[in-house]
Amino acid sequence: MEFFVQQLLNGLAVGGIYALVALGYTMVYGVLKLINFAHGDLFAVGAYLGLTLLVSCHLAQMLPPFAAVLLVFVLVALMVALIGYLLERVAYRPLRSAGRLSAVVSALGASIFFENALMLIYGARVFVYPDFLRPDFTVTIMGFSIPGMRLLVIVVSIVLMVALQVFMLHTRVGAAIRAVAIDQGAARLMGINVNRIISLVFLIGPGLGGAAGILVGIYYGQIDFLMGWSYGLKAFTAAILGGIGNIPGAMVGGLLLGVVEAMASAYFAVAWKDAVAFFVLILILIVRPTGLLGERTADKL
Amino acid sequence: MKRLLVGLICLVMALGMAGTGQAAETFKLGLMCPVTGKWASEGLDMKNVVSLLVDKANAAGGINGHKIELIIADDAGDPRSAALAAQKLASSEVVAVIGTYGSAVTEASQNIYDESGILQIGTGSTSIRLTEKGLQYFFRTCPRDDAQGIAAAKVITSKGFKNIALVHDNSSYAKGLAEETRDALKGSGVNIVFFDALTPGERDYTASLTKMKAANPDFIFFTGYYPETGMLLRQKKEMGWNVPMMGGDAANHADLVKIAGTSAAEGYFFLSPPLPQDMDTPAAKAFLKDFEAAYKSLPVSVWGVMAGDAFVAIEAAMKAGKFTAEDIAGYLHGAKDLPAITGTMGFDDKGDRVGDFYRVYVVNENGKFVLEPKL
Repeated sequence: MEFFVQQLLNGLAVGGIYALVALGYTMVYGVLKLINFAHGDLFAVGAYLGLTLLVSCHLAQMLPPFAAVLLVFVLVALMVALIGYLLERVAYRPLRSAGRLSAVVSALGASIFFENALMLIYGARVFVYPDFLRPDFTVTIMGFSIPGMRLLVIVVSIVLMVALQVFMLHTRVGAAIRAVAIDQGAARLMGINVNRIISLVFLIGPGLGGAAGILVGIYYGQIDFLMGWSYGLKAFTAAILGGIGNIPGAMVGGLLLGVVEAMASAYFAVAWKDAVAFFVLILILIVRPTGLLGERTADKL
Repeated sequence: MKRLLVGLICLVMALGMAGTGQAAETFKLGLMCPVTGKWASEGLDMKNVVSLLVDKANAAGGINGHKIELIIADDAGDPRSAALAAQKLASSEVVAVIGTYGSAVTEASQNIYDESGILQIGTGSTSIRLTEKGLQYFFRTCPRDDAQGIAAAKVITSKGFKNIALVHDNSSYAKGLAEETRDALKGSGVNIVFFDALTPGERDYTASLTKMKAANPDFIFFTGYYPETGMLLRQKKEMGWNVPMMGGDAANHADLVKIAGTSAAEGYFFLSPPLPQDMDTPAAKAFLKDFEAAYKSLPVSVWGVMAGDAFVAIEAAMKAGKFTAEDIAGYLHGAKDLPAITGTMGFDDKGDRVGDFYRVYVVNENGKFVLEPKL
């Protein structure tokens, strides 16, 4: 039982990060019907920018660790949001009337561009976040001791996801985003500036991705220029699993994928973890082709 | 021609033993190494190391009355150039050849030397099959690719671990090392309670570690590379699991401690060939002093020093009065405890080096790699 709970917590922590990255995929897909393959790399850009701010700009020395981390979270989310906005203007907007395949190719190109830009700017070596930023405490709940940082990763992910969901359901802008997702033409007739809403989506998604990048950097310590690809692939899978285009679906899909992976390594073989996870994905898609929560609103947000 | 030469040399030898052979006979020694090309830094070291030792021997009046004439041929780290270099050395009528570095390059020259009756001592060619061909005149001073697994098994048994976890990352190198270690541990009484592979390039190995912990090993041997090793050490510490962990020579990278954090890495140990500056035998220290005085630097890796070991092997044979390829080969097969620079050296019937080569490095409390004394 202890083994099971331990693995469940392991899975939830990994899944929380998958879910955060998956939100970016699913939001863009909901509005534009475009898989933004560069999203994983924006996540990596966030991890690198966070490291630069903390180390090269000496933020870690000037402020107490908690304040420094909080400030870096905000700054990096803003910077990556800006990069996401520029990406949309440069790589996707000119192709909006050109058909979906061209945009997907453009997204793959943007992904390769970001990976190589990171390699050229920072080098191909592995980088390491400063160690003292990591809160080093342990929480004991019902006899289970959980590393504090692990709990923080789960909590931060859930807070960000819930905040996004509240924003989507209870604000006028959120309603406008949902309207654009349902029907761009009709939304335009209702007086919604569609271009501005799409830009906004490209601010929010990459902003969350950048925040996830810092979370990974601080928690795991190690970042490299190709990290966006592996996390992006898993997050994309999570988005499909939950029903792409559906925000609660991305959260459920991400957490579920993390837990399935952990359980596969626990009760099967570690080497077969990914194979089992993708097997479960296939099973779910056979039974529910639109994903777990994607039944009614497969192409809506 | 060969027989005539052998006869002549025997005659000279007899004279030498009688104490009258004053006219110094020269012994032609070839050195095939990559002075140009992608491995030029290794080749330059090989050339410097062997030249230094030859000059020293000649300055001392030669070996057993024989001055050494060193003939160097460039193989450029390329099999085709190696075939040309081998033909050049063969036509210069060398008795023995030292070299070379890359396995494929050595392989291209093996048959040329063997057919010409020239002794060859490879120095950096670790591919297993080079000594599996039954060539009479081929030796090497470097270990084979499977030596690390045997060394790992030895460390595990001598440190007294009973229930171990073996983990690799599915790369051909790490998987090979894990399987060779498993084979080498057969019949030693050590139980392998966990044998599995993790996915390299990920960040989170807590699920794998939790599963490993459930198998309750008293020791972990992860054979993969340093980024995953660092994550494992870090997350193992975070779990509060204080089981000792070991790695192979792919863990030998300064970034390992940065990734793991000093406190998590402390006490971790890995197998690796000794770095030249860490070689601690008196012979090695004396050699490094001479080398530094002559070239104002240290050898870049241990492989160049292995060329020096090859010279030591030939020197020992000459001191024992063996001056033909056949006699030297006969002397070296089954030789033991030759005073090589990298430690004691012997050769088995296949021409492979016998003796310890891998050493254990431990991470100390300051995050530095420290060479452990020999077991």
